[in-house]
Amino acid sequence: MSTTATTRITEPGPVIEAVAVTKRYGDKVAVDGLSFAVGKGSVLAVLGPNGAGKTTTIKLLTTLLALDGGRASVAGHDVSREPDAVRRNIGLAGQSAAVDEKLTVRQNLDLFGRLYHLPGPARRARVDELIDRFGMREYANRLAETLSGGERRRLDLVAALIADPPAVFLDEPTTGLDPRGRLAIWDEIRAMRDAGTAVVLTTQYLEEADQLADHILIIDRGAIVASGSSTELKARLQRDVLEITVADPGSTEAAMEALAPGTALATDERTIHLSVAAAGDSLAALRRVDEAGVELADFQLRRPTLDDVFIEITGEPVSAAANDDEVTA
Amino acid sequence: MTAMIDTLTIARRDLVRTARMPEQLTFSVILGIFFLLLFYYVFGGVIASGSGVDYLQFLVPGVLVITVVNGAQQTGSGLALDLSTGVVDRFRSLPMSQIAVIAGRTVADTLRNAVGALLVVVVAYLMGYRFDSLVGAVGMVALVVGLGYAFSWVGAWIGAVIRNAETVGLLSMFWLFPLMLASSAFVPTAGMHEFVRLFAEVQPISVVSDAARALAAGEAAESPLLASIAWIVGLSVVFAWLAGRAYRRV
Repeated sequence: MSTTATTRITEPGPVIEAVAVTKRYGDKVAVDGLSFAVGKGSVLAVLGPNGAGKTTTIKLLTTLLALDGGRASVAGHDVSREPDAVRRNIGLAGQSAAVDEKLTVRQNLDLFGRLYHLPGPARRARVDELIDRFGMREYANRLAETLSGGERRRLDLVAALIADPPAVFLDEPTTGLDPRGRLAIWDEIRAMRDAGTAVVLTTQYLEEADQLADHILIIDRGAIVASGSSTELKARLQRDVLEITVADPGSTEAAMEALAPGTALATDERTIHLSVAAAGDSLAALRRVDEAGVELADFQLRRPTLDDVFIEITGEPVSAAANDDEVTA
Repeated sequence: MTAMIDTLTIARRDLVRTARMPEQLTFSVILGIFFLLLFYYVFGGVIASGSGVDYLQFLVPGVLVITVVNGAQQTGSGLALDLSTGVVDRFRSLPMSQIAVIAGRTVADTLRNAVGALLVVVVAYLMGYRFDSLVGAVGMVALVVGLGYAFSWVGAWIGAVIRNAETVGLLSMFWLFPLMLASSAFVPTAGMHEFVRLFAEVQPISVVSDAARALAAGEAAESPLLASIAWIVGLSVVFAWLAGRAYRRV
């Protein structure tokens, strides 16, 4: 435990650092030279579709997988050379972590506290503190297998905090949760960050990265395709987005033809997303659609979202890329 | 030191889990009694009339061995279950001794096995089974439970390689059955086919069954006892190494 304490006081610079981290499986490069740094009290979101290398990245930084290239450190300890010291300084939760379904909430937290070698009285106090802080009092003595998806995910997240580690890794912490559960987890991640924890989280949800992260990495096929703050990434799309919704789904194609080919960012059944530079462009686009005799249901001009950024950079929406991967996986 | 504490922590966790799965616990603990009753009342008459051997005296040490070897297979299915649920990923990310994840399970399963073995002894006593001395009886149970511990590591290795609890259970039929039946656990090896007999006489289930019988009967047991201890230590060391290696493979 002394390592944790001294590290936190004396170590300047980033808590989590990755330099050209690489992982190969045979010919396939799963993680291709990722570099990033996360400071105290900040959140890094790694955003990308399934199969982009998000979970592998987490496993490399949490000593679950060996690096094939580059280096990484947590709290000043190299993940390859000092895995034990790294493990004393991290908490892991989410997709690749889990809890024991045959133990109660309290017993799970106590088990992980014991395995971090927290002494008895401190451990019991810490378990109580976390149960209160994260509103788990009413189901503290229930078996994990009887919890709802959201409650279970919360336990998983809290288990990562038992030793109050300076660095926490969350692998898709809200995947599969309902909107209410997602908001609750977001609050908890913000609370961690405010308490000074360096957080790396992976997500498929642009909104999640937008809401939580100080810095976002967009990765695709193991490599960074864009990085920056949410604002910076959105600024990459200087242009606004015009959404044109047609009245009849059958006329979507006619509207697309009326617009210059290849100008649409994305299209769904009735709505065309168009990147426009100035108000004049919007007006011209609307006029062309109108002249083609297409009846409009609605149109709106808006600032680009991270979704638009992702489409602009990778050429496909996050969800489409994710679905592709699920089919081939 | 840390490894010891972590092993006990994991053993404690596995025992709590076991207690929460009462059906599984009950079946595994009464399996030995089931074997004892089944073999005694099915084969006992034939064997006693054919050879004049007191079959209960012969059978009980053998049934004890079979009980713990079977019980030890739960180490494999339990570990496979852990490996498939992802809780092991969390263990791997913790500053704990990694071999403790397996070692703790072998300790917990050995305790459960010891309870099962003691129940067999109690029921056997009620059926008329007698041992020469209390020291001999304690020695017999200790030796048998030791073999169970060694087979827990065998099970752990299989579980760490296969990583699917159901497959682990199914697979045990294929190696455990021949090992159990081609042994001196239920019948003397003398009547077996030459080829089977050669195998049956040296394999650990026979060696430990013979040593357990000698201990219980208060006979000179030095040579089978040494052979038994060699098997127990050998199996534990080799399979602990193999299991640890298989477990670390991601």
